[in-house]
Amino acid sequence: MKTSILSGAAALAVMSGPVLAEDLTVFGPWLGPDQLNVEAVLEGFEAATGHTVSYVGSDSFEQQIRIDAEAGSAPNIAIFPQPGLAAELAKGGFLTPLADGTGDWISENYAAGQSWVDLGTFAGPDGAKDLFGFFYKVDVKSLVWYLPENFEDAGYEVPTTMEELKALTDQIVADGETPWCIGLGSGGATGWPATDWVEDLMLRTQSPADYDAWVSNGLKFNDPKVVAAIEEFGAFARNEDYVAGGAGAVATTDFRDSPKGMFDAPPQCYMHRQASFIPSFFPEGTIVGEDADFFYFPAYADKDLGTPVLGAGTVWAITKENQAAHDLIAYFQDPASHEIWMARQGFLTPHKGVDASKFSDPTLRKMNEILLGATTFRFDASDLMPGGVGAGAFWTGMVDYAGGKPAQQVADEIQASWDALK
Amino acid sequence: MDNIAGTKSTLTWVTNISVVILVALWVFPTLGLFVSSFRTTDQISTSGWWKSLFPSEQTVTLRTAAPDTQVQDGPLFVIEGALLEDGQDATIRSWGISSRAVDAFVPGEVAELRKGGTISVMANGRYRMEHSAAFTGSRGQRVFLGTTVAPEFTLNNYRNILFDPDNIEGMSQAFFSTLTVTIPATIIPILVAAFAAYALAWMEFPGRALLVAAIVALLVVPLQLALIPLLKLHLGIGIGKGYLGVWMAHTGFSLPLAIYLLRNYMVGLPRDIIENARVDGATEYQIFTRIILPLSFPALASFAIFQFLWTWNDLLVAKVFLVDATGETTVMTQKLVELLGTRGGNWEILATSAFVSIAVPLAVFFTLQRYLVRGLLAGSVK
Repeated sequence: MKTSILSGAAALAVMSGPVLAEDLTVFGPWLGPDQLNVEAVLEGFEAATGHTVSYVGSDSFEQQIRIDAEAGSAPNIAIFPQPGLAAELAKGGFLTPLADGTGDWISENYAAGQSWVDLGTFAGPDGAKDLFGFFYKVDVKSLVWYLPENFEDAGYEVPTTMEELKALTDQIVADGETPWCIGLGSGGATGWPATDWVEDLMLRTQSPADYDAWVSNGLKFNDPKVVAAIEEFGAFARNEDYVAGGAGAVATTDFRDSPKGMFDAPPQCYMHRQASFIPSFFPEGTIVGEDADFFYFPAYADKDLGTPVLGAGTVWAITKENQAAHDLIAYFQDPASHEIWMARQGFLTPHKGVDASKFSDPTLRKMNEILLGATTFRFDASDLMPGGVGAGAFWTGMVDYAGGKPAQQVADEIQASWDALK
Repeated sequence: MDNIAGTKSTLTWVTNISVVILVALWVFPTLGLFVSSFRTTDQISTSGWWKSLFPSEQTVTLRTAAPDTQVQDGPLFVIEGALLEDGQDATIRSWGISSRAVDAFVPGEVAELRKGGTISVMANGRYRMEHSAAFTGSRGQRVFLGTTVAPEFTLNNYRNILFDPDNIEGMSQAFFSTLTVTIPATIIPILVAAFAAYALAWMEFPGRALLVAAIVALLVVPLQLALIPLLKLHLGIGIGKGYLGVWMAHTGFSLPLAIYLLRNYMVGLPRDIIENARVDGATEYQIFTRIILPLSFPALASFAIFQFLWTWNDLLVAKVFLVDATGETTVMTQKLVELLGTRGGNWEILATSAFVSIAVPLAVFFTLQRYLVRGLLAGSVK
């Protein structure tokens, strides 16, 4: 508690007036509307501290931050969409540990605080562990999107357990319709939507401890437990009757186009499992909460695993140290910094101190409730695995699986590529 | 071609057919992109560009006015309005209110609403909802219309890219900084390469053949290999990220091809002219500026087109050597990528920006095309 008061005081000291105004450069993956959002937050920081901030976004952030770090032209702050990449840079000695006391603050003020500290703690170049990353802005992935009016027209109810979800799926097929839209296409990253499915189903069929062991490869990728989770996904995606366009279309449909099938008249499908960001790809003019809505991707009632939630988030790390960079991390401990983006779009936060009435629309509040109400929160496994697996073999393996390869063979191949990295 | 007179007609046919195929290969995707750049995101994702040129039959989802616009007409609560906008060129064939039966009714029929009351839709898109009790809820009734829609195009994509007040300043700044990158990055390599090519083609010195071979070998080195070491070098000698760095990088990466192309052209110039000039007492520099350069103009111009296009469209080199974390320097390509959004997929912006960025290279090409012909003539008439 004492440390939190101290860091709070430090944050206040920062707010009360600039000691020395500095230039701060921030480099991240956000472009377009998201760029305007992050710039609004950084303007709030400028106003509070007097530092000058400039933000640059890139769609090839992952490659460019490596080039800049290696060459020595890194920005002050880098915003990593995947902790795995930040961990690699920390190991190379390109990241600066966060100020003392930040970890204590996170574990006290974030929901499931210690897990956020653990996710931001990486081994430095000398192997010593330190807190390098601060999570700001998270996504919830365990969501199923649907059109309430389509459900009403057909007389369907929103399922609250996995058993009900499966029964509803069969019901829709029996009515001569197609329940799911699933698309894995994403350019060079084709396959990632399937990894989210598998991770979500892993959390719903195995214990959190098994999930953690899977992420660290303590539980092998070709273990029967993992293969079972992959086959659970196959039960949805490889069933000709369950997927719009047939099982063969899953791997080739772009994930950005796939939800649009729900909006066709007559609808091509009734449900779409995707993270909280997907409304930006809904047809123009769609009002989330009215035209389209979501429900929590439910857990099995007969397995005692609570309500697990899969999520992801962006981790902010200092790539070139200066006082302004530390001040920015301190600024994020002030609820006001979260509320700026909450009032805009597509922002969720694990910060317990924020005023939930600041959310721009009720759906975001509903998502944040799912996040805060999780009995188990787990981070996207593929983002935590080594790049060669989490952003490589796992993706391509899932594409192969959707194309008809047996789950065991796919799992063996992914495990082999993981072994090759060790 | 006179020496193969017997095969001339077949050869002409083959040439003509391959030209037609090549032109079709280029024109079709370009035309598709061009048509797509005038369509909205939803149009692009629901139908192909070739369909957009003709009237299409489609089912559209529309909504009546919200319940708070209802008026009381005797014992009835009524909501009235038009589903189609004024002047919209569409014919209604059928309509429905359930996603399970989107074409259940023809215009003029009356449908029962699930929550009570009735709705009827006329052929002109006017609708009337009636109920004995007040309509409730916050939104209007969803109506599906089976319509035949005339082709519709929009200029909004171009407006968004070029004249959006949010980025108009950034866009024009990016335009000029792209020019700042491109023009020197085209001129410097040509200057250097022309000197080098002359030396390698016409000056006798030991190791000349080896040097040419080395340059040809450099052609196969991928530039990605040199990005990090070169950036380290730039930072080490204090150039940092900036225009000077990106000019030097472009120059370096293009020199092997430039020297190779120009040397091959210069080697083919008539030996007599150059030897005559030598006999007349011209220095090497005079031969180069007075004879070689004017005669090589077509080669210089065609390489300039190459280099200009490649630096204009370049994103990778600019990102590594120019765009730093301060965001002060940017290029058109970077700016267009930013418009695409974090997760991409905005086809309408992709298509439109392709045409925005193609405009200047096209202008350059057609201008230089004229010089190409003039350059050729200047060489022959003298």
